[in-house]
Amino acid sequence: METVTQDIVLEALKKVQDPEIHRDIVSLGMVKNLEVAAGKVKFTVELTTPACPLRDRIHEDCKKALAGVNGVTDLEISFGAQVRGSKSGAGQTDLLPTVKNVVLVAAGKGGVGKSTVAANLAVALKMHGAVTGLLDADIYGPSIPIIMGVKEEPKKIAVNGGFKLGPPMAHGLPVMSIGFFLEPDQAVIWRGPMLGKALHQMMADVHWGDLDYLVVDMPPGTGDVQITFSQQLKVSGALLVATPQEVALADVVRAKSMFDKVMVPIVGIVENMSYFICDGCGKKHEIFSRGGAARAAERFKIPFLGEIPITSSLREWSDKGVPILVREPKSEISKIFLEIASKLAGQLSVVSETARRAQSLKIVSS
Amino acid sequence: MAKPLPVEINHIKEKGAVRVTWDDDHVGDYPREYLRGYCPCALCQGHGGEVKFIDVVDAKLGGISAVGNYAIQFQWEDGHNTGIYTFDYLRSLCPCPECKDSQDR
Repeated sequence: METVTQDIVLEALKKVQDPEIHRDIVSLGMVKNLEVAAGKVKFTVELTTPACPLRDRIHEDCKKALAGVNGVTDLEISFGAQVRGSKSGAGQTDLLPTVKNVVLVAAGKGGVGKSTVAANLAVALKMHGAVTGLLDADIYGPSIPIIMGVKEEPKKIAVNGGFKLGPPMAHGLPVMSIGFFLEPDQAVIWRGPMLGKALHQMMADVHWGDLDYLVVDMPPGTGDVQITFSQQLKVSGALLVATPQEVALADVVRAKSMFDKVMVPIVGIVENMSYFICDGCGKKHEIFSRGGAARAAERFKIPFLGEIPITSSLREWSDKGVPILVREPKSEISKIFLEIASKLAGQLSVVSETARRAQSLKIVSS
Repeated sequence: MAKPLPVEINHIKEKGAVRVTWDDDHVGDYPREYLRGYCPCALCQGHGGEVKFIDVVDAKLGGISAVGNYAIQFQWEDGHNTGIYTFDYLRSLCPCPECKDSQDR
């Protein structure tokens, strides 16, 4: 009988490609803990995100690849996940060294549901098993504390001889918001430099700990805050939220052109308020028309990650400070969020591979 | 094709120049006075019009840092540091003979 060696197994597994990154799983270093003994083959595939949408496919492909190898009598494949950082760029001082991926949830205008989407996607990423944090950078209307039902205030904690702010936990996620520092009903009336300073503090002076993903709820538009983030942070990518009507397209164009200028890759578009299923007649009403965001995605070759329907329970539980995913994890709307989060994580894994070039910028002097 | 990105920025003090190596294997040596002269900030360039050359004698370079994902910032020893050179702009300034010919500046 032929003896199977580690080399033979690795050679066979080189035929298995990561369906998103389009490179084989061996050269990507995803095959771990390979054990081969008397025909018994055992290894772990380390996925690039616990929210990986393609786990089953990779499992099947591995089985197929090894089916052709003589002498394999027993096969045991397990899955693990190690989220890879996709932070591109070369900011010499990384304000968030313990955060692997920073995702900006943005839109060209207000009122499209960025905060709701950001909060629920952060919860969904966590439910997929990734360590996730949520930063509310919407200085004009910080609504994350309400949506996440945060009652506590940030605490001062000692870190490495200095002091940092410990973010309060809400539904298992560390959450930080400018809203924590304001009296209720008080408005932020600041010019650019003040905003920059406040945001800098919310990034550098907060003890986030090790995070796989930090989801940032951005203020609407293309202004000071967006520039601050793109200059001071190694942002992995931006997720655009849009509504379905034609005019929303113009806002997608603006947001895209801004992120292109500062070289923040756009990882996807989500269409919010896509349709409404009437609880009386069961009919699907397309209140704001439908498919505008999908068309924009197609036109600019941005991945379209999904449609979120108008759902009164989503609104209701957001107002009560309980994300719908926590309240009704099996509901249709929760499934949609989980699916979008999984696609988002997949896109970020793609970005992390392509951004390696930009990461390697060295600044030296001789 | 994807836009070229810099892979290395080397301040060669002896030469008085900054060498930028790009990921398409292009290399350009930017003299310090030249970089300072084409500083893109509004203090140097004003608001609008042609790109001007600001003649600063004996420009000394203190430090170089990256700005987000898209640009480079130079700190000059006279305290000037407001110029943010996007990678595109930096590439368009490339003073190597090959680029100079095609730029016709």
